[in-house]
Amino acid sequence: MKQTLILFMQDEPGVLNRISSLVRRRNFNIESIVAGRTEINGITRMTLVVNEPNEAKRVNIYNNLKRLVDVFDVVDATKENCHVREHVLMKISLKPDEIHEIEKLVLGGNCKILDQDPKCMILEISGDESTVEENINILSKFEVLELLRSGKMAMISGDQERNKPFLTRSEP
Amino acid sequence: MKKNKLTGAEIIWECLIREGVDVVFGYPGGAILPTYDALSKYKDNIHHVLTRHEQGATHMADGYARTSGKVGVAMATSGPGAANMVTGLATAMMDSVPIICITGQVPRPAIGSDAFQEMDISGAVIPVTKHSYLVMDIKNLAQTIKEAFAIARSGRPGPVLIDIPKDVQSEEYDFIYPKEPVKLPGKNPLDREIDKKSLGDAADLIATAKRPVILAGHGILLSGASKEVIELSEKGDIPLSWTLLGSGAVPASHDLNMGMMGMHGEFAANNAIQKADLLIACGMRFDDRVTGNTKTYSLDSKKIHIEIDPSEINKNVPVDVALVGDLKLVLKKLIPILKDQQNTDWINEIEKWKKESQSRDIINADTQMLYGAQVISDIWKETNGDAIVVSDVGQHQMLEAQYYKHDEPNTLLTSGGLGTMGFSLPAAIGASFYNRNKDIWVIVGDGSIQMTITELATAVQENANIKIAIINNGYLGMVRQWQQLFYDSRYNETPISSPDYVKLSEAYGLKGIRVISRPEIPVAIEVAQNINGPVLVEFVVEQHDMVYPMVPAGADLDAMISRPVHEQFKDAEM
Ligand SMILES: Cc1ncc(C[n+]2csc(CCOP(=O)(O)OP(=O)(O)O)c2C)c(N)n1
Repeated sequence: MKQTLILFMQDEPGVLNRISSLVRRRNFNIESIVAGRTEINGITRMTLVVNEPNEAKRVNIYNNLKRLVDVFDVVDATKENCHVREHVLMKISLKPDEIHEIEKLVLGGNCKILDQDPKCMILEISGDESTVEENINILSKFEVLELLRSGKMAMISGDQERNKPFLTRSEP
Repeated sequence: MKKNKLTGAEIIWECLIREGVDVVFGYPGGAILPTYDALSKYKDNIHHVLTRHEQGATHMADGYARTSGKVGVAMATSGPGAANMVTGLATAMMDSVPIICITGQVPRPAIGSDAFQEMDISGAVIPVTKHSYLVMDIKNLAQTIKEAFAIARSGRPGPVLIDIPKDVQSEEYDFIYPKEPVKLPGKNPLDREIDKKSLGDAADLIATAKRPVILAGHGILLSGASKEVIELSEKGDIPLSWTLLGSGAVPASHDLNMGMMGMHGEFAANNAIQKADLLIACGMRFDDRVTGNTKTYSLDSKKIHIEIDPSEINKNVPVDVALVGDLKLVLKKLIPILKDQQNTDWINEIEKWKKESQSRDIINADTQMLYGAQVISDIWKETNGDAIVVSDVGQHQMLEAQYYKHDEPNTLLTSGGLGTMGFSLPAAIGASFYNRNKDIWVIVGDGSIQMTITELATAVQENANIKIAIINNGYLGMVRQWQQLFYDSRYNETPISSPDYVKLSEAYGLKGIRVISRPEIPVAIEVAQNINGPVLVEFVVEQHDMVYPMVPAGADLDAMISRPVHEQFKDAEM
């Protein structure tokens, strides 16, 4: 089962190092990690998607992340109404007769042409898991030169108290 | 001009003094030189112990921390010095011991250039520390040191490393020791009421249990909860068993104490755990060395886990009720809501198991050869059971746990989680700086002593009042035992030679004694105890002795190989 965790941590050199070291050491099965700055200066936000069938181990992952000194809070978005998005860049090689077909696909949905030359084109796909997978699938029938996935970002809908991270400090 | 500025080096010492540090174990080198230079100013406040290896420094800080309950401090230079600390940090991490390691780093402009003796130590030790710092700005130095101490000692204690570039040590800055209490990102998991419902559930489970057992762990010592655990045990008439690091948490002589659990635990204890209908785990973490096969571990029991670290709950063994918090505080809430209970049938059954092996034990036999168990049992008797014992890793460690009966908390120091050979001698030296008036005995194998034997020089230099008992069986005994049991007695690379320990002692400048028969033991111990300073006693023991009982790794906890009946008692048994 997939578990989506949103981490809030101190923007310190080495903090990503600590997360990846923990993941490695505890042998967690990670599907994707994305991190970036937030609306608050000094706080980095990370979305961690974990693929761990064992319930006890999932709780263990959560608790171990919380144990890191640099981590303010971890919000488990797995069971929340939550938007999970991924961004994909794909470079495909083109034969002249295929261009038309692709343009149809692009018009159809969540896919955008970023770059085009006589031999290949870069496409941008973004959306939730199923949209992304579906588009990649369709485009895979062309010759894929490069594929790049950003990893998943998650944001919980609404403004509920229980999903608010604890972003202040306290005495240890 | 009025001088209110201090160098980074001076700030380090000032901060240490304010944290209550009076002894630092370390080894100098280029990148930490400014800090050693500044030491002249602080010699009246801090005693620096020059060790012979940085690993020794970390174990000394560890031994000091384990007996004193204070934070131990070790210091080293960059690169190789820092790298030598990794084993000590990992040892402290596994056993939740608060130590601080301060390392010098190459100057900031050189960082990242593979400069001479450069190593990213704060990155390298991430997996084996509670936290690590690289101080890139002198403005943060004092705050960082203060934070490091707070992290090391709070919650579940553990080691912290602070790496300080050489140019930060020599830079000047206004020294203001931060007054405000340290605050760290996030909510303190312990900063909340102990869950009432879980307390009630725990009380209900205890009230209905017929075959309860308390599992006593290291957390009892860390929390200072011995009194409360005994109260719990007596009020509920609950027998208890301890983990290696929980030795002494409850007096060995207490009627309800069944002895150690686990791989080399007592038959009665392991049997009771397997047959129990309730386990109350107090400050322990269900390590594989105490559970054996988790799939068959105590299947009929409900489990209550009282533990300060939430990440330990349900990690190895699923539990029914979890009480997260400081053990002492939790028990103070739990005990008043319990009823007095009597588990006479259960206790009687356990008493029967207990009696089974005791009287036929090797320590009661009159043997030609000397046995490790006899040596340790006799040291226990001759020291009236109130020495501080520092054991190393191997057969002798397990024999110590079985035969030295600790009645007081914090009187056994040993590397449990990591099982670090070479721990005992330096850890004992460290402990001697806190326990000036107590006997400290090192119980160490001929393999383990040779890992850190260089620290004999430190012991002599400091006139550390420690007595070193080498149990010399000519083998890496514990490994040999496994080879005998599981590898058809192919003793590859386990016979190990030793120097002449008596001559070696002389060369180092301490007294050395060799003992080869049992009657010599009390004499040697007396001689050793009457010397104020380090003494080494080598006990030449039976080479092929085994440690029993034993649960083979990964086997069911009650699938024990029991202690054999000694030849002398065989007829009497029949
Ligand atoms: C640093 C280190 N290396 C290797 C081991 C593996 N090991 C565990 S016990 C042991 C043998 C210890 O021999 P000795 O100190 O002579 O004690 P004995 O078992 O004979 O009592 C070894 C090699 C270890 N625990 N630590």
